[in-house]
Amino acid sequence: MTMTLITNPDLCTGCNRCAYACSARHENMFAPALARLSINNYPLQGYSVPSVCFQCKRPDCLTACPEQAITRGLDGIVTIDADICTGCGKCIPACSWGMVSKHPTTGKAFKCDLCGGDPACVAECHFNALTFAEWEGDTAKNKAKQMKFRNEYGSPELKRDAFGKSIMNEAGR
Amino acid sequence: MYLYAGKILRVDLSAGTITDEPLNRDWLRQFWGGWGLAAKYFTELANPAVDALDASTPMIFMTGALAGTLAPLSGRFCMVSRSPQTGTIFESNVGGSIGPELKHAGYDGMIITGRAAGPVFISINDADVSIEDAGYLWGKPIFETEKALKAASGCPAAKSMAIGPAGENLIPFACVGSEAYRQFGRGGVGALFGSKNLKGVVIRGTGGIRVADMEKFLSVARTASAENLMTEANLWAKTDGTPLIVNVTNEMGLHPTRNFTYGVNEDFGAIGTESVKKATISQRACISCPLGCGKFTSVDGVAVEGPEYETLCLGGSNCGMNDLGSIIKFNRTCDDWGVDTITTGATIAMAMDMKEMGLHDFGLEFGGKAEYLSVVEEIATLSTDRGRDLALGTRGLGEKYNAGHLAVNSKGLEFPAYDPRGNHGMGLAYATSERGACHLRAFPLFSETPFDHEALVAEVVSGQNFNGIKWSMCICDFWGSVNSTILADLLSAALGETVTSEELDLAGERIWNLARLFNLKAGFTAKDDTLPDKILKTALKKGPNDGSTMTSADLADMKQRYYTSREWDSNGVPTQAKRAALSL
Ligand code: SF4
Ligand code: SF4
Repeated sequence: MTMTLITNPDLCTGCNRCAYACSARHENMFAPALARLSINNYPLQGYSVPSVCFQCKRPDCLTACPEQAITRGLDGIVTIDADICTGCGKCIPACSWGMVSKHPTTGKAFKCDLCGGDPACVAECHFNALTFAEWEGDTAKNKAKQMKFRNEYGSPELKRDAFGKSIMNEAGR
Repeated sequence: MYLYAGKILRVDLSAGTITDEPLNRDWLRQFWGGWGLAAKYFTELANPAVDALDASTPMIFMTGALAGTLAPLSGRFCMVSRSPQTGTIFESNVGGSIGPELKHAGYDGMIITGRAAGPVFISINDADVSIEDAGYLWGKPIFETEKALKAASGCPAAKSMAIGPAGENLIPFACVGSEAYRQFGRGGVGALFGSKNLKGVVIRGTGGIRVADMEKFLSVARTASAENLMTEANLWAKTDGTPLIVNVTNEMGLHPTRNFTYGVNEDFGAIGTESVKKATISQRACISCPLGCGKFTSVDGVAVEGPEYETLCLGGSNCGMNDLGSIIKFNRTCDDWGVDTITTGATIAMAMDMKEMGLHDFGLEFGGKAEYLSVVEEIATLSTDRGRDLALGTRGLGEKYNAGHLAVNSKGLEFPAYDPRGNHGMGLAYATSERGACHLRAFPLFSETPFDHEALVAEVVSGQNFNGIKWSMCICDFWGSVNSTILADLLSAALGETVTSEELDLAGERIWNLARLFNLKAGFTAKDDTLPDKILKTALKKGPNDGSTMTSADLADMKQRYYTSREWDSNGVPTQAKRAALSL
């Protein structure tokens, strides 16, 4: 059974507690810009859209990596081995949702690893906008729907913003 | 450095210079951050003889000590300067997310002085800070300006704040809008921006904030959240938000209605919490807040985050306006054109009252929708005679038209939405606030004995002292049950040093006295600790407090007890002994 992270933007308040919890877990500091998920916030429209790694079944980042530093485990989690990663950055533009970035201090690529199966972000979301559930049924359908909104060009931040705006549009906001 | 970024950004708009300096660490354990630290910087830098709108007047922005962490509700952002509306030292603060963004950019605070030769905005992208031309934005309302500022920064995730036409026109109750519907609302912060030719600030910060012991800090924050915050005392903010207070104050009979004439609005249901719930389409939270009090509403295609209680009352009941759709439009227009909804609502209500009393006809009458809505833009742009008159606020309007008896303000700041004739403690809180009538300094509203002076004085003093430290952590008011022990535990874990609740309590009192000392130097005296004639000379009508008064004798009695309790002399001046005890 594969567990996956799924978001419900209609319930997201933009509080960013998820991003704070994520950076606390992975960076030992509070740095939402270094979180493995990020919240696209549209205050004028009263709407927020979480960008999360979809842990794709056929990950483009994995295919793009010349060093085989990226693998997808039996648990469905796509991880980067920092010891193998050379920091060439080829995986970064490969992701259509802007979910791989270069770490400002290590120079290596980093992305969401679902905290190994116990995501810190989900535990911190008080609005049920993030859930960790089996990748099947409605969860799978919702995820497939969100994954339609791909963007080939732009920096990760611009891709996330374009993704967020598409989802917001579809929600009629 | 743990918890703090360790740097202050200084921008001198006259000279066009940008520098940064180390945070003054000697002041930290005395003033902590937010209101306290900003007030310390301000009183060191400002000349009490100089006007608010003088170019040399500094604006001090300061994040809270706990900003940018998982300490819940810690993300407000504070500004201390002098108010063009009251002339006093003035603290104003904003929610949303811009404060922590500044800290992530590497600055605990920002000091802005001077006046640019032409319109500018300040762009902060981590350490990359610049002053940019804003000529193309001058005259534009806030929503459009913020969009342009974000475009200019190139970062969709950047946070911004800006003024609208009201701030440019130096209207004394112009606000600064941030992230659309959040404001430095009160006291004319927007006019301070305008006087400096500063249209806005856009910030992107990508840095991290460290704490001494992450595991410990998270466990303290989670325990405080589960056991103290997410409890019955505070969950009303999550389920209802401030519209619930419409119902509460009507039941209590101190809900300002028709320019503070009545204590109940018989039609409050139309604008109360159930009606707002029906119009709500999503819930919004400030950064790091698990409550999410913001209700995003939409009626007939017009949407706003709000309306909050103060707007529902001052722009609603107090204007005889019981149409939620109209209040939403009023709210959105105020936010976009850049005026404070409390003062704007109160001033329109006073103009309506003047017509009813036969003093002057501005074309505004209680409950009349069309004019009530169109006058907001006229005020912000000073485009009509009545717009220019109402832009004076209630005090100025009273002076011009000999209608001071209908003007409801203290030190020139319009009352928030709790009538002191139904609770004398609120009256004392308004009269003694360093920034004029304010509900964020002491809030004895729920006292069991709303006319017992002795008990209320004690409650006002302790409320003011605690808010001194709470606003220095920039903790939102809606964590009503937070206390200095919780704050001390969070600080101890974050700093890796022992911080006691006693030293925080003392700091709160120190901050209150520091603000008082500045006002005394600026020429304010005990006489200014007062309430308007409408409150002191007329009785409240209707509801449970029908016939209730708060007379000059009541106020004098409370003030004397208050000064004594504060160890101030009979002129409201802190004694030498008190100053020494607070190291002031
Ligand atoms: S940055 Fe690292 S993980 Fe990404 S493609 Fe290059 S080597 Fe592979
Ligand atoms: S914690 Fe939940 S509600 Fe808050 S920003 Fe993250 S996903 Fe949205």
